[in-house]
Amino acid sequence: MATIALIRDTFREAFARKIFWGLFGLSAAMILFFLFLLKIDLVEGGMATLSLFGQSTNRIADADRLIRGIYAGIATFLYTWGMFLSVFASAGLIPSVLEPGRIELLLSKPVSRTHILLGRYLGNILVISTNVVFLVLSVWTILGIKSGIWSPSFLIAIATTIFIFAVMLAVVVFVGVLFESAALATMISIALMVISAILAQTATMLRLLSSEWSRQLWRSLYYVLPKIWDVGRITLNAIQDRKFDDYVAVWSSALFAAIVLAGALRIFSKRDF
Amino acid sequence: MASEYAIESAGLIKIYRSRWKRREVRAVDDISLRVPRRTIFGLLGPNGAGKTTFVKLLLSAVHPTSGSALLFGRDARDPEARRPIGYLPENHRFPTYFTGHGMLDFYSALSGLDPVRRKKLIPELLELVGLGQWGAVRIGKYSKGMLQRLGLAQALIHSPSLLILDEPTDGVDPVGRRQIREILTRFEEQGVTIFINSHLLAEVETFCRDVAILHKGKVALSGKMRELTAGKGYRLTVLNTPETLADNLVEQLRAQATSAASRDGVIDFQFPTRESANQAVDLLRAQRCEIEALSPTTSTLEDVFVRTVENGGR
Repeated sequence: MATIALIRDTFREAFARKIFWGLFGLSAAMILFFLFLLKIDLVEGGMATLSLFGQSTNRIADADRLIRGIYAGIATFLYTWGMFLSVFASAGLIPSVLEPGRIELLLSKPVSRTHILLGRYLGNILVISTNVVFLVLSVWTILGIKSGIWSPSFLIAIATTIFIFAVMLAVVVFVGVLFESAALATMISIALMVISAILAQTATMLRLLSSEWSRQLWRSLYYVLPKIWDVGRITLNAIQDRKFDDYVAVWSSALFAAIVLAGALRIFSKRDF
Repeated sequence: MASEYAIESAGLIKIYRSRWKRREVRAVDDISLRVPRRTIFGLLGPNGAGKTTFVKLLLSAVHPTSGSALLFGRDARDPEARRPIGYLPENHRFPTYFTGHGMLDFYSALSGLDPVRRKKLIPELLELVGLGQWGAVRIGKYSKGMLQRLGLAQALIHSPSLLILDEPTDGVDPVGRRQIREILTRFEEQGVTIFINSHLLAEVETFCRDVAILHKGKVALSGKMRELTAGKGYRLTVLNTPETLADNLVEQLRAQATSAASRDGVIDFQFPTRESANQAVDLLRAQRCEIEALSPTTSTLEDVFVRTVENGGR
């Protein structure tokens, strides 16, 4: 019962702060944008182009590849911008609970501190998930209706976007609990995203780095920090039906989130309010 | 077996340490206190005495440096120990996105009330605290007194056995204060233990049966209100004219009295015991001085409080 109350409270606050409707509005705007693109016959234009180059014999396979390409482009866009927007939107929802005068009352209830923080974390994920599901499902439906090609693999973007948001939210929670600053939580999370993109160029960088210790440092950072970029790449591979069997990015990011969240819970449990 | 005490603390110490400067503040310094069930207990003390820290230790919002706190015999750190508690914090900041109804729904759900009971109890509690018409209004529009009453409803909704109230009538007008007192009296009659942390001495004096005064983190004084404020001396009022009262006699009486104050042609001498008052009467009558009045006096809680604090808690 307490968990549901905490989740409902997060939704209530997200509504009141216009976070939920803000994200919903942006999602709706994005969907309208895609509808506009389809109105100018992007898909049919693409298919016509395929015919023009004499590939009409394999038209269905080509159209499928084209649609998957469009899906991949959209997924990348949603994944990257969705992540930024979600982190910005949710960064304030953790420190707000810790405000003096509010936290004491929460702690006076027969609910453990772990339960309070995890309830809030889960509520935050569900707020963002609702929007991600709405956006991805809408885009998938629009493209499916227009092209007649329904590619369920696009829906993996829902899982990966929510997953990587949960990883980033663990960082937001940790910084929020430690410093009670939404701005700092956002800054650190965005910095991690940028660093992750740079670290993802490991193969290239290991060739370029001259000393062994700097290569070792690079490798260590790569394995320790969440692999937002690599998880995005897995999403693209899945959508484009390419083979992939390297799940290191997933489990190491999950491990990172678990450790950071455990750290946040420990700090929260030990703090005086 | 359930404890006969609602609150028990033993050797409770809380030291705040500054992270960088290695400075220590002993906010609560070895407090051992027992609050029996079904009483109204007042916790008093000057600013910075450690009252709020003590309350936070009971609620586990602050972790003790050493010592223990029990609520109905259960370790206060156990979340389940807080189930029978209703708490109204000082300087509360309820989220303004709640309506009165929504706020009660949220906090009572955290207290473990099921939806059916919440639906039944919320309108009743809003009515009880005089906010029956305000349930659907966002609390951002509430006055301070209304927020205080809503906070009280929040503390009462799950029928707690122990109410911990930090400045419960802060910001409430006199009529509202009386309403709150009546509500609390009703709950006291139902056997609820009420623990009040307040700086309003008159209010604590009229309402509480037991009291403790904290000073510099320690219990400076504790006991039954009746005993602490009863039979504390005798006031002797004497006509003060040069013909009737010689200066040397005044000095002699001043030396025996605990206090002396001149007003409207008379002097009030306060004597600590009946014997000292009688000796003063003998002395005055021997000099043929006019005695206006002699009466036993009781201390107000304010007297007790000021005396305790001025004596540095000794």
